[in-house]
Amino acid sequence: MSFQVLDPTPGTAPPAGKLAPRLDTLKGKTVGFVSNGKEGTKGFFKHLEQMLKDDYGVAKVVMRAKSNYSAPADAHIADEMKTWDAVVSGLGD
Amino acid sequence: MQLASRTFDADNISAVQELYHSNGWTDGLPIVPPTADAVQACLEWAMMPPDQLIGIEPVRGLAITAEKIAVNAVMAGCLPMHFPVVLTAWTAMMQEPFLMHGATASTGGCAVLVVLNGPIRLELGATGSFNALGNSDRATAVIGRAVRLCLINLMDVRPGVIDRSTLGHPGKFSYCIAEDEEDTTWKTLSEQRGVERAASAVTVMAAGAPRQIMNEWTTKPEEILETFAAEMRANLRHYSIHPGNYAIVIPKQLREHLQAAKWTKSDIAEFIHQRARIHRREWADVGKGAVVRDRGDSVYPAMESPDQLLVIAAGGPAGGFGAVIPPWLGHKSHAVTVPVGVCVDCEPPKS
Repeated sequence: MSFQVLDPTPGTAPPAGKLAPRLDTLKGKTVGFVSNGKEGTKGFFKHLEQMLKDDYGVAKVVMRAKSNYSAPADAHIADEMKTWDAVVSGLGD
Repeated sequence: MQLASRTFDADNISAVQELYHSNGWTDGLPIVPPTADAVQACLEWAMMPPDQLIGIEPVRGLAITAEKIAVNAVMAGCLPMHFPVVLTAWTAMMQEPFLMHGATASTGGCAVLVVLNGPIRLELGATGSFNALGNSDRATAVIGRAVRLCLINLMDVRPGVIDRSTLGHPGKFSYCIAEDEEDTTWKTLSEQRGVERAASAVTVMAAGAPRQIMNEWTTKPEEILETFAAEMRANLRHYSIHPGNYAIVIPKQLREHLQAAKWTKSDIAEFIHQRARIHRREWADVGKGAVVRDRGDSVYPAMESPDQLLVIAAGGPAGGFGAVIPPWLGHKSHAVTVPVGVCVDCEPPKS
């Protein structure tokens, strides 16, 4: 017995995120970190901040944490991102 | 009725199974072939056009249509009469307080607990009695499975894709129960949450696995409920300190003691709210001393208020057992109750 069956998926890919163009250099740039707010981000991001400044000449690192680690970044953080040259979105699990 | 879904031809039932498994469209179990006839029957039962928008998934902006839920419901084994419950569960899950993306993507690995109330339970044969949290009946089995298949196929909630669960639990195959409304004097869960008793309703909760308790050595409400509270305290110590919606399932044997003493669901929730709380310093007893810091004296209740406790009457008639169902992540996700919005007594329209 043959069947004609239906696609259970939407059939179209969900809107995908796109990476920002790569920077030529990090020297003198502002880099933002968006943490999910978990404990594990604190020491790790602090260390990364130091590395970015000491090894790559980053001028400024901005640390922000989401108010709910299981939800998208708060609107004010998303707005503030526009003023940064690069963003690192990180988990602290 | 014009369906929008792409179609595939398969020579036989084995080919259907391999088509769906190989595309990652199943939960690993065989599916019922979703033919156009079967999907149309679901939509006709609910009196919905295929492109009826059930909601927009709030994080990625995915449009969820009745047709796609119907396809997955058929795959799960749903008959047309089960379909309105699946639709209602999805309507509830897409409400913002449920935080669907977080609850289904989290490493925490919760499942969507679906609780049925009202006359639709009887029409579907959802019993809420023996084996209530297991394979109790066809209706709850296929409805719970349909909720999961929809997550897999409509939102890519597949293991390692959107679903990042570290462990998950067996409720991620199907996690649906009906309340035993006939064998209790209590208000129903949905009645407690604002829906008239005569209406059918669905409550969804982002839930961990059930933790079973036993106390068949007392008839005193305080002692029975202390056992439930102790299990919740254990969860606060061993899992998460965040307060939120907990559910407790009380089968008939323990329920009768509580009802004989005239305890209502509100009385139960008030008592447990007072008893299910720990000091942060107790984390040091279970290997989590590193996060006690200088807040050892702080008190952490399981619920922010008594109404966050979902008290569910269900389970077989014998046995001094009960269950505590903990939240996925405290108050990040809230249980949502939605009335079933179709006339379950109506016949489907003549085609």
